[in-house]
Amino acid sequence: MATNRKDVPTIDSAELKELTDKLITACHILDHEGVTDGYGHVGVRVPGADAFITIANISPGSVTRDRLIMQDFAGNHLDGATTPPNEWPIHACILKARPEIVSVAHTHSKWSTIFSVLPIKLKPLHHYGKFLSADGPPVYEGVGLVRTLERGNDLAAALGDGPAVLMRAHGDAVVGESVEQMIERTTRLAMLGEWNHLALLHGQPKYLSAEELEVYNADQKFPLRGWEYFVSRLSGTKSKLE
Amino acid sequence: MAASDYKGPAFDSSELKELKAKVVNGCLILDREGITDGFGHVSVRIPEQSALLTIAQVSPGCAALDKLVLLDFDGNYLGGAKPAPYEWPIHACIMRARPDVMSVCHTHSKWSALFSVLKKGLRPAHMYGRFLPVGGAPIYPKAGLITSVERGQALADTLKDGAATLLRAHGDAVVGASVEQAILRTVQLAFLGELAHLAAVHGGPDYLTEEELATFAGDRSFPARPWEYFLSRLGERRGA
Repeated sequence: MATNRKDVPTIDSAELKELTDKLITACHILDHEGVTDGYGHVGVRVPGADAFITIANISPGSVTRDRLIMQDFAGNHLDGATTPPNEWPIHACILKARPEIVSVAHTHSKWSTIFSVLPIKLKPLHHYGKFLSADGPPVYEGVGLVRTLERGNDLAAALGDGPAVLMRAHGDAVVGESVEQMIERTTRLAMLGEWNHLALLHGQPKYLSAEELEVYNADQKFPLRGWEYFVSRLSGTKSKLE
Repeated sequence: MAASDYKGPAFDSSELKELKAKVVNGCLILDREGITDGFGHVSVRIPEQSALLTIAQVSPGCAALDKLVLLDFDGNYLGGAKPAPYEWPIHACIMRARPDVMSVCHTHSKWSALFSVLKKGLRPAHMYGRFLPVGGAPIYPKAGLITSVERGQALADTLKDGAATLLRAHGDAVVGASVEQAILRTVQLAFLGELAHLAAVHGGPDYLTEEELATFAGDRSFPARPWEYFLSRLGERRGA
C-alpha cells in the first residue's frame, strides 16, 4: 500500500506549515516538561493520506525543521530527512488502525515505565485522568523495539480504541485527535504516574470511580490552555522553529 | 442570574490598579513556586462590593493585566478580559460566605491533590501549618469542576471558617485576609503536604498538637516578608 509522493504535499509546503510547526513545538514541550529524555518521537498524520511526519533519528528536545521525515504507512520514504526513527511502525500502525487520530507520541516517560513493570496499575486519582478509564491504560507486553509492522500492529491492538498504552520496560504511546490533545494527555499521564507513585507509598489511594470520571467528563474542557502555557515555558527554545 | 447592581470602581479605574497588580503577581508567584501548572486562579475582593477580580481563561503562569476579569458574585461580567474562568463560583461563593476573606487561590497543587485521595488527612507537621486545624484541612468530597453556584456553596460549606480546603482528586482552595496571605498560605500548604508525605514514608511524623499550634499561632507573623521574597524570585517575569 505504497503512497505516491506526488499525491502528498511536501514537508516544507505552506499547506503543512502549521502542522509541522506544531510537531516541532510538541517535541520541545515534551522535552522541556521532562517527559522525554534523548529518545521518543511525535508523529502527525498527513491529512487525507496514508502517510505521517515524524522526527528522523534525533532527540525530541533537539529537533529542527530539517530533521523531519515523511513516510507512508508501509515505511516508504516520501520526503525530508532520510533516516527514519527505528520505531516508525508505532506511528504507521496506530494511525492506520485509528482514522480519527491526528497525532501519536512515543516516550520513555519515567512514570509510564515504572507502572509498566509493576503489578499495580496506573489509575486516575485526579480529574486530569478523565481521559483514561477507571482501571487505567493497558500494558503492551511485547519485548523489543517496535521496529516491524508486526510489532506495530500488536501495539495498536493493545491500545485498542483507548487514548494511551504503556509499553513493558519501555515507555508509552499516547494518541490525540489533535497535537494539542496528544500533548495534554502525554504530560498528564506522566503527572498521574507520579501522583500514583506518591499516593501508593501511603497505602491504597481512593481512586476516581467510573461514575466520578463521568461527572468530570461532562464538564467543559480547556483544549488550548495547557498548550499556551507549555509554549510560554519554552521561551528561548522557540527559535528552533526557524 | 440577576442583573448586576455593582456600584464599585470601573474595571479601568485607577482605584483597581494596585489590586490588579497583586492578582497578576500572585498568579505568577504560584507558577514560579511550582504550585500551579496550566490551571488555577487567584482572586481579590473589590472592597465593600459583592464583586471580585480574577484571571480570565489563562494559565496563572501567563497572567497579565490585560487578562483579568471583573465579576460580581452572581457571575455577571463587569469588565476586563473574557471569558471568565469556568470555576468562578469558587471565588464568589467563598467570598459571599466569608466577609473576612479578601482573596482566594484555587490550584491543582500536587501535594493537595495527593492528600485529597488518601485516607489520612494533610495535617500540620511544621509551624507553617498554624493556619490549619490540628486534624488537617477538610476535603470537599464531590466530583466535578466547581462550575455552578450550587457546587460553589457546597465547597464554601466544607471550608466553613477555615483557611484551606482540599478538593478530592482536584486540588485546593485557600483563603486569606489579603492576597499576600492567601498566596503565602497556598505555598505553605504545598510545603506542608510535601513534608507530611516525606515524613509518612518514614512511618509518620509526630504531628503538632492543638496546644503547640496555638503557641505558634500566638507568635508574631511577618506578612510582608515572603511576598517581597516571592516577588524577588519572579525576576523578569514580574508582571505588574
